[in-house]
Amino acid sequence: MPIWNIATAKHLLSRTLFGYTRKDLEYALTFSSLADFVDQELLKEIDIPAPPGTWITENPIVDNGTIDGQRYRAFNYWWYDLMLKEKTSMREKMVLLLHNHFTSQRSDVNYPQHMYNQQKLFRKYAFGNLRQLTKEITIDPAMLIYLNGRGSRSKNAVPNENYAREVMELFTLGVGNYTENDIKEAAKTFAGWTVNGLEAKFDANRVSTDAKTILGKTGNFTYSQTIDILFDQPACAPFICKKIYKEFIGIDPNENFVNKMVKVLKDNDFNLKPLLSFFLKSDEFFSTELIGAKIKSPTELMIGTLKIFDFMNPVINYEDVAKSDYAYIYDSSKTLQQQLFEPPNVAGWPGQRDWISSTTFAYRNGFSDSIINGKKLTGGKIAFFLKALDYSRTFDSSENAVKFIDEISAVFFQIPLSEIKKKILLDTLLEGTIAQNYSTYVPMAEIRLQKLYKTMMRLPEYQLS
Amino acid sequence: MKRHEFLRQLGLISGGTMFSMGGIQLNAMPTNLFNKNLEATNGKILVIIQLQGGNDGLNTVIPIEDSKYYTARKTINIKKEETLKINNTLGLHPSLVGLKSLYDNDKISIVQNVGYAQPDRSHFRSTDIWLSASDSKQQIYEGWVARYLENQNPSYPGILPTEPMAIQLGSVESMLLQGKFGSLGTVFEDPNLFYQLISGSKLDNDPPPNTIAGEELKFLRQVAAASIQYSEAIKTRADKGKNSLTYPNTNLGRQLSIVSKLISGGLTTPVYLTTINGFDTHANQLTQHASLLKQVSDAVSIFQQDIEALGLAENVTLMTFSEFGRRVNENGTTGTDHGTAAPLFVIGKSVKGGILGKNPNLTTLDSSGDIIHEFDFRQIYSTILSNHFGSKKEEVQNILFRDFTKLAIFKGTTVVESNNSTIDIAQNYPNPVFFDTKFNYFTTQNQHLRLSLIDLRGKEIARIKNEMHTAGAYSVTYSAVDLPNGIYAYSLQAENGDVKTLRMVVAK
Repeated sequence: MPIWNIATAKHLLSRTLFGYTRKDLEYALTFSSLADFVDQELLKEIDIPAPPGTWITENPIVDNGTIDGQRYRAFNYWWYDLMLKEKTSMREKMVLLLHNHFTSQRSDVNYPQHMYNQQKLFRKYAFGNLRQLTKEITIDPAMLIYLNGRGSRSKNAVPNENYAREVMELFTLGVGNYTENDIKEAAKTFAGWTVNGLEAKFDANRVSTDAKTILGKTGNFTYSQTIDILFDQPACAPFICKKIYKEFIGIDPNENFVNKMVKVLKDNDFNLKPLLSFFLKSDEFFSTELIGAKIKSPTELMIGTLKIFDFMNPVINYEDVAKSDYAYIYDSSKTLQQQLFEPPNVAGWPGQRDWISSTTFAYRNGFSDSIINGKKLTGGKIAFFLKALDYSRTFDSSENAVKFIDEISAVFFQIPLSEIKKKILLDTLLEGTIAQNYSTYVPMAEIRLQKLYKTMMRLPEYQLS
Repeated sequence: MKRHEFLRQLGLISGGTMFSMGGIQLNAMPTNLFNKNLEATNGKILVIIQLQGGNDGLNTVIPIEDSKYYTARKTINIKKEETLKINNTLGLHPSLVGLKSLYDNDKISIVQNVGYAQPDRSHFRSTDIWLSASDSKQQIYEGWVARYLENQNPSYPGILPTEPMAIQLGSVESMLLQGKFGSLGTVFEDPNLFYQLISGSKLDNDPPPNTIAGEELKFLRQVAAASIQYSEAIKTRADKGKNSLTYPNTNLGRQLSIVSKLISGGLTTPVYLTTINGFDTHANQLTQHASLLKQVSDAVSIFQQDIEALGLAENVTLMTFSEFGRRVNENGTTGTDHGTAAPLFVIGKSVKGGILGKNPNLTTLDSSGDIIHEFDFRQIYSTILSNHFGSKKEEVQNILFRDFTKLAIFKGTTVVESNNSTIDIAQNYPNPVFFDTKFNYFTTQNQHLRLSLIDLRGKEIARIKNEMHTAGAYSVTYSAVDLPNGIYAYSLQAENGDVKTLRMVVAK
């Protein structure tokens, strides 16, 4: 097993959390081994948080657009806050992973109550049993609405096959591991559900009782038995393991290693915790080739940047949500292309290089600039504004320009910066003066430091985790 | 996703030299030495509109005289009298008022039943197939437009041409513009904002580490380099350009208004990609589909009028596509599930106009109840590359991996009765048929072939062969013992679009 030191801890935290603070890193290193940290801290079961409002139990109301919009904002900010204050638990990372796997889009689901209840499932099963979660997701109201299970009938009717297709293609097996006929037959077993208020309701009279043949098995299956058939397929465990590998490693899987993951997942009956424990302690996860090779998601970038600058107490105004400090993060999530609860389509955010286009790369630079400037590109004020002098002075080396560049580089970047790059940063800080004369007390130090932080975050290296 | 693996391997092999560009040097490079964009395309421009989600072709171009359409779609059909009739048997969806007027002026060629053999009904696979121009079972990780642009710009990625090779309006880059060596597209939503965001970024020539992280870093730098290179050119052209008409205030309307501004400002970029989302109409499709089609029709008709008023219409062709059409039968939730072939529009001053192909055949469907394609989508790509961009035959073959029969979409072109067809079938023997008869046929390339027996009403009554064939000669015996006496046709259809049809007589 890899040794537990600053290098391995940085790598593990940067991949399993939404960035980390200097305190988080120190705390992680108080554990005596990687195994202790992973099993006792990172994967620890923690309390379920209090909900973002009392509205979560209200019956949905049609055409409640403005209020629902505000509730989504509140829900979003609340989740950002959980991410920001996650410390060293990877539960919220798993909640997002599951949201990106069993996707639903708020623009189709509409009611935030349903999306909240769906997320509750993800939180409950973040380290839990994936088969059971898949069964519950199949009849989850948000999913019934999103993939058109709602109102689908198979008795004397053609069932809607949307969910049947996507549960095979995207949730369990992957394309090529089922036939069009399997989809049609499975769709019959997913029929019969409606959504009534906050509840999913089943009406057996809407379901065909004929025998269905799904992936070679024949019977009058229930939806739950259909999910069991899918999980019994040899394609299922590798499909899940590859997805998890890709999520945390960034690049396509090493097949040999995936086979080992598959064994662990199957030996543990599709429970996620033993799989994560195996994966996050493996040599593969820490292989030198892979360090710093993952492109940060917009959420990792934004929340991680707040953590780097110790912006740890944004205010959420539940009365007038638009006035919350997270408003800028929420707005930026749209331009950076990861608005939570609104994945681009049923396949979710593909991640890695798909995060980056000429425009999203530019927006990332605009985002990091604005956190330093305290204002948007267009001039409007935002809640975050770096006090560059105070912040810089929290580093031991703040008064020594050369050492300071070394120390902050280690905080900002997961791959070591070359000497040439450090020289560029040093020149930015010194602006033509000499290193010996530098301190945070010289004239213009604040502006030079601001410029330094902006330059650092405009480096492509900052996008790597 | 596999594309990245491929790029990574390639990057490692080439040692990363191909990305050795720095912000300042780029502008000073004599790019026109290598950049043959202008003379090769004659300033021709292609604007693509991607209808994401699978557009319901049957409710777009409606077969108003086909009772099977109305039987299959009891609740979501479009009534004959509501459609915008374009001939005796077809009507456009009532939302397509703008397109109808373009049709009446011969500015739209509608190609019917466009799809491909062995259709995939996954959004994601089928989108990849359309974008990469691959066969159904073939995985290709670059876009067909990217391959065209790589041919046009042999110096890429060492040297970037002075203006973007392709522009995508939006945020997340499409595979259409991903080439072997990286991305060929510049992606943005608004020229001014893009320019503002980029100013302040610099690049360095510091060699990246020789690790996977180094490869990802190269990728990021390459994107940054193109942005720095192009944001100013784009802003300058957009400032100089204009719209002569007001566009609808929709997402697609905004995208097309920017395209028109850039073209009128003199940008030489030959390909633009725009997108409109939401066509995955599994439930309650009537209202949603009507609204989407209206957005397309309104934006496209203003765009066409705008570029005509600006005097640019000779050079600009617009094409729509969607990853698939939808199931003929409606489902139980007043919507339609994923289907196969569907109509496609090619729009502009240089198209002939009219309908290409037959009305959708709703009698002979495939095993899932979907329309069997009449044209391969790559026949349209081939036609656009040859007749719009003026690409040579070998180039088109390279881009599309083999030869596809072109269609008579553009003015001055005719359907070539293919002298160099890749297939042939001989007269059956014996003929007239008493009991058994033999069909001898051949294909000059590996491809999917279908041999159908057709009755006088054009209905396919038997599919004698329907499978992949390796290049070579074949013989198949068919028993006509169950066929009533009469005249029949038999037709050999290849996936590249080649077809040969002959007659036979059954007399027992």
